[in-house]
Amino acid sequence: MQNLFIFTLMFAALGSAWNIIGGYSGYISLGHAAFFGVGAYAIGITFTHVSIGSGYRPFYVLPLVGFGVALVAVPIGWVAFRTRAATFAIVTITLLFVVQQLAYNLRSITGGSQGISLPPPSFPVATFEEPFFYAMLGVLALSMLASWWIRGSKLGLALLSIRDDEDRARGLGVQTGFAKMVAFALSSGLVAMAGGVWGYYIGFIYPQFAVDPLVTIGMVLMVYLGGKGTLWGPVLGAFILVPAQQYLAYRLGASNLYLVGYAAVFLVVMLLLPRGILPSIAERARRLRTRRLPPDPGRGPQAKEVVAS
Amino acid sequence: MGKRTQIIALVVVAAVSAWLAAGAAASPTAGPIKIGISLSLSGDFSDPGKAVKRGYDLWAAYVNAHGGILGRQVQLKIVDDASSPNQVVSNYQNLITRDKVDLTFGPFSSLLTGPAATVANRYGYAFLEPAGGGPKVFALHLHNLFFVQPAPVVKCGDTFVQYLKTLPKAQQPKTASYASLDDPFSSPIADAMRAKLEKSGVKTVYKTIYPAETTDLTPIIGKAIAPKPDMIIGGTQSVDAYSQVKALIQANYNPKFLFFSNGANSPTEFPSKVGAKNVNGIFSCSDWTPTAPTSGNKLFVSEYIKKYGGNKFQIDNNSSEAWAVGQLLQLAVKKVGAIDNKKIITALHQGTWPTIEGNLSWDANGSPSGNDLLVEWVGGKLLPVYPKSFALAKPFSPKPAWGK
Amino acid sequence: MHVFIQACILGLLTGGVYALMASGLALGFGVMRVINVAQGALIILGAYLSYTLYSSLGIDPFIGLLVLTPAMFVLGVVLQIVFLRPLREEEREELSILVTWAIALGIEGILSIAYQTTYRSTITSYADRSWTVLGYYISVARTYAFVASIVVLVLLFAILRFTKLGRAVRATVQNPTAARLLGVETRLVSALGFGLSVATASAAGAVYGIVFPFNPGSHYDLISRLLTIIVLGGLGSLGGAVIAALGMGLAESLFSAEFSPTWASFTFFVVLIVMLVLRPQGLFGARVRGAI
Repeated sequence: MQNLFIFTLMFAALGSAWNIIGGYSGYISLGHAAFFGVGAYAIGITFTHVSIGSGYRPFYVLPLVGFGVALVAVPIGWVAFRTRAATFAIVTITLLFVVQQLAYNLRSITGGSQGISLPPPSFPVATFEEPFFYAMLGVLALSMLASWWIRGSKLGLALLSIRDDEDRARGLGVQTGFAKMVAFALSSGLVAMAGGVWGYYIGFIYPQFAVDPLVTIGMVLMVYLGGKGTLWGPVLGAFILVPAQQYLAYRLGASNLYLVGYAAVFLVVMLLLPRGILPSIAERARRLRTRRLPPDPGRGPQAKEVVAS
Repeated sequence: MGKRTQIIALVVVAAVSAWLAAGAAASPTAGPIKIGISLSLSGDFSDPGKAVKRGYDLWAAYVNAHGGILGRQVQLKIVDDASSPNQVVSNYQNLITRDKVDLTFGPFSSLLTGPAATVANRYGYAFLEPAGGGPKVFALHLHNLFFVQPAPVVKCGDTFVQYLKTLPKAQQPKTASYASLDDPFSSPIADAMRAKLEKSGVKTVYKTIYPAETTDLTPIIGKAIAPKPDMIIGGTQSVDAYSQVKALIQANYNPKFLFFSNGANSPTEFPSKVGAKNVNGIFSCSDWTPTAPTSGNKLFVSEYIKKYGGNKFQIDNNSSEAWAVGQLLQLAVKKVGAIDNKKIITALHQGTWPTIEGNLSWDANGSPSGNDLLVEWVGGKLLPVYPKSFALAKPFSPKPAWGK
Repeated sequence: MHVFIQACILGLLTGGVYALMASGLALGFGVMRVINVAQGALIILGAYLSYTLYSSLGIDPFIGLLVLTPAMFVLGVVLQIVFLRPLREEEREELSILVTWAIALGIEGILSIAYQTTYRSTITSYADRSWTVLGYYISVARTYAFVASIVVLVLLFAILRFTKLGRAVRATVQNPTAARLLGVETRLVSALGFGLSVATASAAGAVYGIVFPFNPGSHYDLISRLLTIIVLGGLGSLGGAVIAALGMGLAESLFSAEFSPTWASFTFFVVLIVMLVLRPQGLFGARVRGAI
């Protein structure tokens, strides 16, 4: 069992969760790593200030953490959603830095730059990763379940209508404010749960790593790569990028090229494959199918072919 | 989403999962001793990380040219963790379970040493590390951890406090201001010093902790000098130490005693950043100097210059710390007679071990029980001045005026 | 009182530098509806280039600008053509943030490889000196930086007001379709306008490098402040950006001096939140909801 698997699942969960707000509604939140950090710190704080003990107990606290962060996300969302598009993205970037600053400054709660360290649980060595693996898998399953359910629900339709044309949606009477808020809160809660598992797994929660802009970039990139607004796209993106990135760093490493590499992949995806892999494949498949249609479907044998396919 | 695309996604995910879930493949080979190390060769810690690598490489080359250890050659497997805790955890796990290294050495920085040591401990590997000396590391209570420096980082300023006590009462400082950087090392050092100084009667007239991105320390220094303290203690890294000095010069304030936990202890950088004529009389602490009479130091210095050139004052402490790690391992293996992590751990917890970093011994948590050196700028040179057995010059005070 | 006025002086001087940095960002948005998250990284790039010119060739940063500014203007035009023009009109605003963020990462990576992560500073002969006026000390370097910023800003305003390119840029900002109808080569103007905004980054970088120590990672801190400033001033409003920058410089400095340096950078965010609650379009932004 490699811990790489855990990180891959983590980013898959993060991407799926981000997709709920970023993919479905079109509101690009660039500060989601802030909620990741809050989730990690929440788990850390329950250890140091409330001492819930080691072992499996922190995992039971996870749903509480998720719910709590979702609640906190509501007022944040209310302020943020007073803006649109570009300004919204900027406000969420700012949110990230605010949370990072808070993590540094609220020393008595977060330990400041010295961070919080969690005592490692006494799971047996041979199967040490497994509880974390299943926990992360659980968060991923939850994310995908939420994503799948939303797609088929009225909420999903509302979000898609916002993405297409928010003003018109409002004009038609769609509850845009409510929809956005629910999606934002749900998304944040899920991201926070992933952060909680991560915090417990690494055992050390420092401000610059728990609230890291590169985490946001990572999850956004994976969603775009795999296919924004799809169900499996974020997961696919994570399963491609995370092993590739960590593997390359392990084998080749020794230079600052990884930042340039990230940037290059991002740019390539944005410029050449903006819809992402899965939608592009779907598009290709559709085009291939339509090409088989003859120009005049009323003719003899070919008409039968059309019907048959 | 079409069924086809879903299937494609599932196939890819399944394939990657199978690869990820696979266990270790490589089987251990006899022959060279493999030592696994994760270093920050890119990212925030890349400069000191590279200095550590130089030290490790130098040691390995020297050992191999002189018969190896127990007749076997040493092979370092160094991987990059990009200064990230996620990566460092993966790296050590891969090194231990996939590459099946025989031993492990530590990475750079307490931030990464903590998670890394926990992984090594799980598999029973001894963890000799050069650069993780913050309090959080020892709070882990890891029996396999050994910080290869004379003292834990937080006690860096203790020698200075001891020196102050040796002065006649009339010359000792009565008041002090403390300005520290908010990071895991700098402010703990200043806080530890303040606790000791307050106990011996030095009044704290100002204290503050400033965030890491503070580039302009003028307002803070302004507040620190307002009560006209005899002594200013800076819990600093490098950039802010230079800023503090510059701010003091601009405000034209010359305290009787000036101490920086870091920054003022770099032999070439400090004078170039603050002006060579401004350094005299400033104190700092250091775990190692090129001229310290420690075991094997002359050899290390000459080997370093042979391989990397320059002069001895350009040798980064991180390189000497890395060499000391290798040196220590060699001594331990010699004593124990085998490459056995458990035996090495037990052996190192007893007695004193002579290295270029001094004669080292540790408590149960891997925290070293010695003291760092007090260094001072004397006649434009950075020299150890206390304790006497390691001093190359007499310490002097009060601090001369700026520019003298 | 003394501390208050000293803080005001420092705040205004810093605010001037922020104003220069933010103006480029505001211009980029106005011309192309592009949020150039890479502006911070470009400023740091300018700082590094200026530093290199000074440390290897002894060219004073302000003189070095004569070479740097045209060079970065060209860089800006190239960036726009290669990375931003291919984006379709509808998704440009959304994708530009991600694309420019990627560019910022790329610049950070390249700078890390070239210069390592040690902090640098363009230490000129006047870097540490200060004048004492009426008991207040005024840093020489910061004053030069402030004056340089004002000069470049005035130049920028002059270009926009009085030159043909400037008028074309303003027309494109106000109404691209109408501008095109009137014969303005909007594609060319967009590229040149963006080049202008990157050119301001070179000046800002040279100035920044003298006053503050920097390393490749410094752009995050910078861009978070700059983004806050242009949201405060109202996206696309150059004047708004300048006023917001001066205001924030003052606010930050006063807060740091009177209360706590640790929380000083928070003033930015607190003001932002207050602004968002009361007036989401910023000081001078458009009132129409959809256009923010």
